[in-house]
Amino acid sequence: MNSMLERLSKEFRVTDITERHPGLTTLTADKDVAETLLRELRDREGYTHLNFMTAIDYIERGVFTLVYMLHNYATKSTLSVHVNIDRVNAEMTSIHTLWAQAWTYQRELRELWGINFPGSPRVEEDFCLEGWEEIPPMRREFDTVEYCERTFTSREGRGTVNPREHMAEIIFPNRGGDK
Amino acid sequence: MSLKDLISPFFVWQRAFEKPYTVGLKPIVERPGAPAYRGFHINMSDDCVGCGSCFTICQNHAIDMVKVDGLEAHGGDSGLRPRFDYGRCCWCGLCVDICTAGSLRMTNEYAWFTTNPDDFRFVAGMENKSWDGRTGGYHRHPDYHLFPPKRIEMEMLAPEESVASFTEVAKGYTEEQAKLEADRCVECGICVATCPAHMDVPDYIHSIRDGDYEKGLQLMYRTNPFPATCGRICTRRCESVCPVGIQGEPVAIRWLKRFIVDQVAEADYARILPNVEADTGKRIAIVGAGPGGLSAAYYLRLKGHAVEVFESQAQAGGMLRYGVPSYRLPDPALDKDIEHIRSLGVEIHFNHSIGRDTAFSDLLDNYDAVFVSTGLNVPSQMRIQGEDHPRVMDGLKLLDDVANGKDPQIGTSVAVIGGGNVAMDAARVSRRLGAEVTVLYRRRIEDMPADTEEIHEAQAEGCIFVTQAIPVEALNAAQSDQVTLKWGEAEMLQDPKGGRPRPVLQEERMHLDTFDTVVSAIGQGSNLDYIPTEISDQLQIKWGKFIPGDYQQMVLNKLFVGGDVANATADAISAIEDGHHAARGIHRFLDTGQRG
Repeated sequence: MNSMLERLSKEFRVTDITERHPGLTTLTADKDVAETLLRELRDREGYTHLNFMTAIDYIERGVFTLVYMLHNYATKSTLSVHVNIDRVNAEMTSIHTLWAQAWTYQRELRELWGINFPGSPRVEEDFCLEGWEEIPPMRREFDTVEYCERTFTSREGRGTVNPREHMAEIIFPNRGGDK
Repeated sequence: MSLKDLISPFFVWQRAFEKPYTVGLKPIVERPGAPAYRGFHINMSDDCVGCGSCFTICQNHAIDMVKVDGLEAHGGDSGLRPRFDYGRCCWCGLCVDICTAGSLRMTNEYAWFTTNPDDFRFVAGMENKSWDGRTGGYHRHPDYHLFPPKRIEMEMLAPEESVASFTEVAKGYTEEQAKLEADRCVECGICVATCPAHMDVPDYIHSIRDGDYEKGLQLMYRTNPFPATCGRICTRRCESVCPVGIQGEPVAIRWLKRFIVDQVAEADYARILPNVEADTGKRIAIVGAGPGGLSAAYYLRLKGHAVEVFESQAQAGGMLRYGVPSYRLPDPALDKDIEHIRSLGVEIHFNHSIGRDTAFSDLLDNYDAVFVSTGLNVPSQMRIQGEDHPRVMDGLKLLDDVANGKDPQIGTSVAVIGGGNVAMDAARVSRRLGAEVTVLYRRRIEDMPADTEEIHEAQAEGCIFVTQAIPVEALNAAQSDQVTLKWGEAEMLQDPKGGRPRPVLQEERMHLDTFDTVVSAIGQGSNLDYIPTEISDQLQIKWGKFIPGDYQQMVLNKLFVGGDVANATADAISAIEDGHHAARGIHRFLDTGQRG
């Protein structure tokens, strides 16, 4: 394992190699070497299974982190490959040629995060949000509360009290800053 | 279509006659949820403070904060509790993750049958549910926080450096530090009720997140014209109720306030802050240019009244100037606050003592209203033999001398008697003047009324603390420029009624120690001699303190009072609020003739 990670860090410039717990290691790879690295892991290192793909929106840093979770059945170890891509015009090489099921994840990533995977089969079709007209909902700038308020009605009998205003009314009426 | 496709559905029918794998026995055995399952909510209502963070973070609007029978709003608790609407909950657990009090969690119960859909809207922890008392289910991992539990450390001068000068000890946050600290605030506003001045704390902290410090300054001046001062020396009761402090350290509200003021140049104040309204033709006299008097002056002047302040000292600021040493509150910070108030046209008569230079009754006769905020400036007596020994000095005089640039001639060994902020200040000032300092206090460290931070800093700067020590007598020492203090050890006697323990002198355990100076700092009282008896007889005064009515008004309609001489808390922020509230009362009184 360690010799493999050493080799990867040399040959593929992978960084941030962290053992999260026994059997799960995470590492970060550059976007341009990611596909080659994944192929190497599948064909030479025994990580034959793609558990899943997902993405994390680091809006503060202006990136999406794509997560490729791979499993090696022989060593029972899991490797989580992280790849940072620009949030603007987010696009990534499709890996459906490596694992056929990846096209489903990529279709989901396109719908929920707005990340494109050119060449991935049926990537532009609706996945689970039929008729969605908003920005992709897993993007952090998507205001879920605002969308909920606009789209759904509340049951009768709902109603909330603002703690600060309630305390002002009970504890210090006529005090504090002018209204 | 192939033949196989056509006939394959019929092969399925052969299964119909096989024994099924699933067992159809009833009742179905209930299976418990997984150990960390996100099921129905439990809220420990006694621990919850009703901050509403769960309401704010819920992305589905599944939570309302509601009033609950039997719970009242009080300092540190809004009295509201979260009510869940399971028609909208998506079981994400964010409410559990953000819960400041750690009172909210989810059980691994997931089955609930009822025919009434409204039942699924309930106040967790206030209604009996079958899953109450369950221990399984989703808890926030103790190491996982949506806001860091530790505050951003304020950089301080090292004790060996701080003790060598009167340089300000706290260095102030950098912009990066302030933004990180501001990010710890959940903006619930629980602190606003506890702040004596009810400052808009969450709003000005938000202005730091936005980097809009001019807005922050405007927000602070709504309730407090002394933000540079309070950003340094406030007793910060807000922090004691900050919900973030329940499971971590409270947000450093005081340092954030200071940060905002430090970002805005005094020259920009006039452009940013509100200006004086049209002249009303009314004149108001204010006695005492401390935080109470100047706060009243500020808010009255804004309303367009002419304000004259009478100050017996040569400079404004009262106890802030003469009682708080410059390593905690440098003069430029205090001046920044005061100069803005003066720039609005508040006139201050310095070295002008009411009762000596102008009669108190003249104020009542010649002005439309009078606000009195003369503070507590008479040191309390220790009531021991030899108290008038020339080497016994009171703490206020020591601080006053140092503030005025005079050498108080304390020598190299000093005993400070007392455990309040004045005692800590006297001790730390004495260290800076080069003396070895022993602090004697009649109770324990945890009983000291001084700010814990000041106690720690005094200890770090090398003050020696002797607790449960009661002074008995000041005697002549072998050398005429020294004094011998006779003091006895005390035992703490529990109060059978549950009050705070009382120190009892142990006659057989007496000590004699010789010092160059003994500094007495056991408290202060007021001096109301400037009010003639025919007036004071009409007023409600108890233990030398005014008892004001609503809006700080006394029975004489024209007379309003505030600050240490009229409240029990005796700190700057309470005086500022008294001044603000009195200003509101005076304005109302002058406008409508109404009493409070």
